[in-house]
Amino acid sequence: MGKQEKKEDQQEQSEACIGSAEHKQVESKVKLDAHGEMLLRQYRELRPTLQQLSDEASHLLRQALSEQGIYVTAIEHRVKTEKSLIGKLELKGAKYKDIGDITDLVGLRIITFYTDEVDKVAVIAKRLFDIDWKDSVDKRKLHELDAFGYNSLHYICRLKTGGPRFELQMRTALQHVWSTIEHDTGYKGDVKIPRVYMRQFSRLAGMMELIDDEFSRLRTVLTDYRRQTLALVKNGKLDDVPLSRDTFRSYLELHPFDHLNRRIAAVNQAELFPVSMMSYLPVFESFGLETVGDVQHFIDENSEDAYQLALSQLAITDLDILSSNTALQYLCLVYVLKHDGGRDGLKSLYDIINGENSTNGMLADLMMEQAKTLPFFGKLKTKN
Amino acid sequence: MVKTTIQEQDGNMVAILVGSLDTAAAAETEKAMSPLNDVEGKNIIIDCTDLEYISSAGLRIFLGVLQSTQVKGGHVYIKGINDNVRAVFTITGFSNIFEFM
Repeated sequence: MGKQEKKEDQQEQSEACIGSAEHKQVESKVKLDAHGEMLLRQYRELRPTLQQLSDEASHLLRQALSEQGIYVTAIEHRVKTEKSLIGKLELKGAKYKDIGDITDLVGLRIITFYTDEVDKVAVIAKRLFDIDWKDSVDKRKLHELDAFGYNSLHYICRLKTGGPRFELQMRTALQHVWSTIEHDTGYKGDVKIPRVYMRQFSRLAGMMELIDDEFSRLRTVLTDYRRQTLALVKNGKLDDVPLSRDTFRSYLELHPFDHLNRRIAAVNQAELFPVSMMSYLPVFESFGLETVGDVQHFIDENSEDAYQLALSQLAITDLDILSSNTALQYLCLVYVLKHDGGRDGLKSLYDIINGENSTNGMLADLMMEQAKTLPFFGKLKTKN
Repeated sequence: MVKTTIQEQDGNMVAILVGSLDTAAAAETEKAMSPLNDVEGKNIIIDCTDLEYISSAGLRIFLGVLQSTQVKGGHVYIKGINDNVRAVFTITGFSNIFEFM
């Protein structure tokens, strides 16, 4: 990369907050030659078209990424400012015959979480736009063994419907961080950086690449793990599946509490109001349930007594709306009582379910009174 | 019979319920609380300090307010609830979907 191009790169970086750049007439001290002035006039005429292009290309990308379920950290777009263009024309205006030869008048940048997502975004871009391969560059492949830097994938694109070309940069969040810091240090300026500092840059760049790759690898490993455990849940091998947010969520897709919920709801012909059951995961952890199989055994062993307890409470009311975690709640209450939790155990359970508050003690007392009338509680007392 | 008062306090919309929210009182209370469904950008406090009883119909009103507020990113807080009303929320499994203060 020549020195002039490096300078321009710095200027482009200073436009990093791409956003919707407003058109400002710049009182430039730079005196452009006649050709430069001609290009500038062309740019001013083209500005509304460029703004429209910037918005449309950004919209198309955003929509396509959303349809493909790809979440990115940022999608930025901007039209090159007049000030930046003047700087470019001053440096190398003669290189361009026409304003259309300048490919970055509109710039878009997509910042992804992972390296492999850069490639996915590139595939989407190829589908959405016509790519000018002659001017597109994968800077990731340009590094010499002893070179440093950490760059991104750049495509020069055109809408399928025609119009001016624009530049699309695709990079990971870490690549973006690198690029931003690199710019901030100003190492690409006029002062020659001593070799010792260049080497420090090189080492850091290598580390960033390594971290990026490791994050991608870790995500792949975790995705595989999640897939395997979910398959175990689906196949009913529940004892082999550690209990976690993901596996519990997957287990809930089997509707394990529906049967008991329907039995309880039938007491008062009640409507079941759907609510999240995920808040009970900490309760299971406090019970020491370690696998999804443990949760299944917990349901199997306590359902009948949970039903009896719910029945004793609801039958004397006319409450005909219940939350979909009613079954879960009564299962947990019974579990605590069967494990000698007593009144204090019930209060602790309510503290987890409801959050600590002054009425949890009252609720525990109420539940103890109800439980005392039930057969399972009598058996417990006899056993003890 | 429930007396319902809605007012703005410290940037929140507050509904003060006084009386017994049984099935007979539900329709009128729901109508009185309907302005809460149009609230934008504010949290809602349902002051139950003087609410003596709540029926299933009352729970449905509270759940309706919760749903319409949550989709707009707001919170619904229930204030000053007595033991009997709290027991209804707990027996029906709704005690952990509202925020109590």
